[in-house]
Amino acid sequence: MSVAQSKTEPRLFTSPFMGEPGGAVSISRVESGNTVTTASMSAARKPSDLRRTQARTGYLFVLPTSVLYLTFVLAPVVLTVILSFAYYDPMLGSRWVGFENFQRFFTDRRSLEILWNTLRFTFFAVSFNVSIGLILALALNRAMPGWLLYFFRLAFFLPVIIAAAFVSIVWSYFFGDDLGVINYFLRLVGLPAVRWLTDASTAMTSIIIMDVWKNTGFFMIIFIAALQGVPKNIMEAAVMDGTPAWRQFFRITLPYISPVVFFCIVYASIGALQVYESIVILTQGGPGDATRSLSILIVEQGFGSFQIGYAAAISVVMTVIILIITAIQQLLSRKWVQR
Amino acid sequence: MNTAMQTQAAKRWLDYTIIAVIAVLAIGMLLPFLWLFSVSFKPVSEAYKLPPTFWPTSLDLSNYAAVLASRVPFLQIYGNSLLIAVVVTVGQMITCTLAAFAFARLEFRGRDTLFVILLIGLMFPAQVTILPIYLGYAQVGLINQPIGLGLMYLTSSFGVFLMRQFMLSQPKALEEAALMDGAGYLKIFWRISLPQLRPALSALGIITFTQTWNYYFQARVLLGRETSMTLPVAMDVLRGYLGSGSLSLVMAAMSMSILPVVLLFLVAQKFVIEGITMSGIKN
Repeated sequence: MSVAQSKTEPRLFTSPFMGEPGGAVSISRVESGNTVTTASMSAARKPSDLRRTQARTGYLFVLPTSVLYLTFVLAPVVLTVILSFAYYDPMLGSRWVGFENFQRFFTDRRSLEILWNTLRFTFFAVSFNVSIGLILALALNRAMPGWLLYFFRLAFFLPVIIAAAFVSIVWSYFFGDDLGVINYFLRLVGLPAVRWLTDASTAMTSIIIMDVWKNTGFFMIIFIAALQGVPKNIMEAAVMDGTPAWRQFFRITLPYISPVVFFCIVYASIGALQVYESIVILTQGGPGDATRSLSILIVEQGFGSFQIGYAAAISVVMTVIILIITAIQQLLSRKWVQR
Repeated sequence: MNTAMQTQAAKRWLDYTIIAVIAVLAIGMLLPFLWLFSVSFKPVSEAYKLPPTFWPTSLDLSNYAAVLASRVPFLQIYGNSLLIAVVVTVGQMITCTLAAFAFARLEFRGRDTLFVILLIGLMFPAQVTILPIYLGYAQVGLINQPIGLGLMYLTSSFGVFLMRQFMLSQPKALEEAALMDGAGYLKIFWRISLPQLRPALSALGIITFTQTWNYYFQARVLLGRETSMTLPVAMDVLRGYLGSGSLSLVMAAMSMSILPVVLLFLVAQKFVIEGITMSGIKN
């Protein structure tokens, strides 16, 4: 991970610009901790002056991002955490309620069902998105004419870049009961029509189907690039030895791209946990609460019923789940990943 | 030798089969879009007719005209979307590039800590920031102001990360030489670093524009009034307004709404894909 890398980078030298990772080039310039290069001497600038200008420029350049980040990310997150421990009512007065909002969330049957829906959706959407993306990438990772590759990338990536809100409307007609496009073709081949969105037992599956159609191309693109990084000579040696293809995949390819697989799983999970518009448009969370997600509950509680504290608590729960998933990924990748 | 040739031939046939399967899937992926365009040209009365069509039979633009003439302020909504997307895109190209230059090329105290704090932002969903932002916006009158949504996204952790990664992969010999010649950092940034960054800037610009164009959750919460809406939210409203009988009108509105993103992608597929893989792989 780049963060870890930049933290552990050896800081043996002070160069006008920071050195290359490893710093082999710049080390030759180091003399008792100061930068002594003939070039900078001839520019008649004192290294300490240069360092000060450099720091000043650095702070100046990160200022806009820092201020905006503080205003629109960090401060709101902290305020949300504070709100989650309060009953917020600007008219009649707010008060602290301790863990009451969380208690309510974890004891209410409805909110637990919604949490379960979200986790279920996340599990299946992530599994299918990442695995199908990987299979597609493996399929595309072979010699083919350039225009064909362009077309394939276009076809699989187009759904990724179009708003979920738009494509969900199209899919709502595909999933229709009587006039639906999919049911038309099912009937055509003699299969029974499916109540894609109006049956509580199939609605979630339908939403996952659309989600995979929409997002799997993203992971395909990432895996294609990752596969190109697998050393060719190792693969060729394996082919020469007559190693079966499945074994090549599990012994060479998969270990090699495992950091990317981990990244994709985390990235997909963070996205899937926030699922909102596809459900709002396809089922409005129904039938009943069968497809309602945490995001829908947050909007409903926070902006519908003005239960601000409760909504804040739900969003804190969502964020904690994301943090846990990321932490697990960090731990696992440090343990398993072979680079 | 003979068996080697046989396996070669077998491998080629396997390749062809796989490509054929992928081709069928790829066309399948495009069907929802083909259907959308096809319906947008159909007369309202035929929109629901089965069998569904996936290729426009005529190029009748009357549905498009009807959307523009309807009582939904479609052009204004379109303008809102454009305004927000342009402001955010330009804003991020400036703020993220400046910050990335500092993180990749300059030494100052607290730099790495700051960068890590910034990266943590990648993990916070909009859901955990929206309540205080909504309450704050209500205080200063930014609810139902399209620019309010734009303000929230004038910088992004992702953008800084992407630009920094790209800058670290670039040689800095030229920059160092300029420094030795006595050029200031501002001049170096403007004259030397920025021109090198063009591919990364294109990637960031396209990704940001697309992402902003597609925001739904935030837009729905902050921009509820019809005249301040953005396209993704308005499309759902439009569907109700124009009624279920006017499927063709909704699809005409949708065709117009996805047009900028599709065009951008057709023109610059390379940059988008490079940008995404760069941030994904090197993460």
